[in-house]
Amino acid sequence: MISNLAVAVLNAVVWGMIMALIALGLNMIFGLLHIINMAHGALYMLGAVVAWYLIEVTGNFWIALVVAPLCVGIVGIAMERGLLRKIEDKPITTIICTFGIMLALQQLVLMIFGGSPRRIAAPIPYRFPLFQLQYPLMRVVIAFISILVMAGLWFFLRKTKYGLWMRAVVQDREMAVGLGIPVNKVYMWTFVLGSVLAAFSGVLAAPIVSVEFMMGREVLIMAFIIVIVGGMGNLEGSVIAAIMISMIQGIGSLFFPPSIATVFALTFMIIVLLIRPQGLFGE
Amino acid sequence: MLLDKGKSIGFILIFSLVLLIFIALPFFIDLFYQTFLTELFVWMLFAISFDLIFGYTGLLSFGQALFFGLGSYTVTISILKMGLNTELALLLAIVIPILFAWFVGYFSVKLSGIHFVIITIIFALIGNIIGETWTAFTGGSDGLTFSPPPFRLGLFKINLMDIKGNYYFVLALVALSYLFLRRMVQSPLGKVFISIRENEDRARLIGYNVQRYKLISFLIAGGLSGLAGGLYSLTLKYAAASYLHWSISGHAVVYTIVGGMGTLMGPVLGAGIVMSLEHYLINFLQATDLVVGIVLVVMVLMAPKGLVGLIQSKFKRKEASG
Repeated sequence: MISNLAVAVLNAVVWGMIMALIALGLNMIFGLLHIINMAHGALYMLGAVVAWYLIEVTGNFWIALVVAPLCVGIVGIAMERGLLRKIEDKPITTIICTFGIMLALQQLVLMIFGGSPRRIAAPIPYRFPLFQLQYPLMRVVIAFISILVMAGLWFFLRKTKYGLWMRAVVQDREMAVGLGIPVNKVYMWTFVLGSVLAAFSGVLAAPIVSVEFMMGREVLIMAFIIVIVGGMGNLEGSVIAAIMISMIQGIGSLFFPPSIATVFALTFMIIVLLIRPQGLFGE
Repeated sequence: MLLDKGKSIGFILIFSLVLLIFIALPFFIDLFYQTFLTELFVWMLFAISFDLIFGYTGLLSFGQALFFGLGSYTVTISILKMGLNTELALLLAIVIPILFAWFVGYFSVKLSGIHFVIITIIFALIGNIIGETWTAFTGGSDGLTFSPPPFRLGLFKINLMDIKGNYYFVLALVALSYLFLRRMVQSPLGKVFISIRENEDRARLIGYNVQRYKLISFLIAGGLSGLAGGLYSLTLKYAAASYLHWSISGHAVVYTIVGGMGTLMGPVLGAGIVMSLEHYLINFLQATDLVVGIVLVVMVLMAPKGLVGLIQSKFKRKEASG
């Protein structure tokens, strides 16, 4: 029993870290551009799929982990520059537009990559003993990489010029324009950063889950839940909410069927939406 | 007033003409296309019910799939497991989704904007998960198949197992629903919905209980989505948990945006064009939604008022120049 619990907790932490990265990307895009990016799950999926091809060619997971998100970042540039720029001030329209992009990306992958799920082998095959069970080392590494990326993101937002600009635009867009901050550029790079984060988590998740064209669909909803529970625009809140919710789900599914655990999480979110629409950790 | 009269005479002419064409069509096309058109009518109804809540009241609801799926399951389960007759089953397919819409709407209309979008997605998702899990009752993702008994109304009897009979049955109900919605959006109630869409604060200041009217719109849209789901199951003789998934609402979003939101003609036209396009594309492209997604994005960016908006602006330009 204790070993099952330990594995469940560890899994929840690892998955919580990955979800935190996805939710951070979604939340940054929302906080700055006020866009609900329905295609965020598709970008996560795209990251994993591109990584699968890169691994086929190079045979190296770590190259894929760096290169695949950059490829998806280019898709992000195209999305923001080509499509979303024109409708940035209309939130409902952007939902519909990104929904269309989601459909197109999913089906494009279905056409090229096929419908059957494929696996990416963990580049670190070792397992270490955990009570009576064996736990894959790779998952722990994934969690550490996620933490490193989050620390890097924190540093980027707090200590660099671009980060300062981003925070300035969130606080007061007009004033930022007045002070000579290239707001359009900040918009674009924020969207690209969000897309890269989604794709990066897709590659990280690939050795745990299987790679297929619909893999982003449920993840998108979980990311929404996290962003709302943590508070829209509140990045620290997203990280806490990600870990909290995947803990509830992970430990809950020890005692209930996983689908019931998900229903609990969803009901919890409805209550948060109704009572504290600004999120649990917002002011 | 005169203008209104001219408009409604024009409408009656066009509506009767289209209806006559659809009544005559089964004599010229084979069974495959009759089934295709029957499904098209169902999606038209689903799209106009969605447009009532989105295009007229201004609330983007991805939860319509929940009511569609509920309507579909109500018909299937009440005929298959409870042995009810088709008339009663179809009536329940409106009533039960309305009851659920009441529950969902009671909470959802308290929120607006993106929060509303997300809460409706969540409700639909809960419905989908329950549908997938409770397989003893719903058949899960395998679904349930059944054969409906004939529909009787007085001396009137329609055999729904006959494809042509089913075609006329669905056509009649969808046409009636269209007329009902048209009457409603032109009534004072419909004007309140539009005023909420245009400016919620102003509607509240005038003294309308905005939340109550949003809920009314949500109930009507839910009931008609349920009817669409019920008719869909009667046509396919089948229901599955995937009908409850929020992405089913995406169909209605696509048809409404392509055709033109805030008009009833728009979603009907959009459903016709997009479904025909998909039907044509499936011959050489497995992933038809790729094209649908691209069409959606292009329309949102280039013609946010849809095809009806494009046609209207062309006419206006002619009037202005001539």
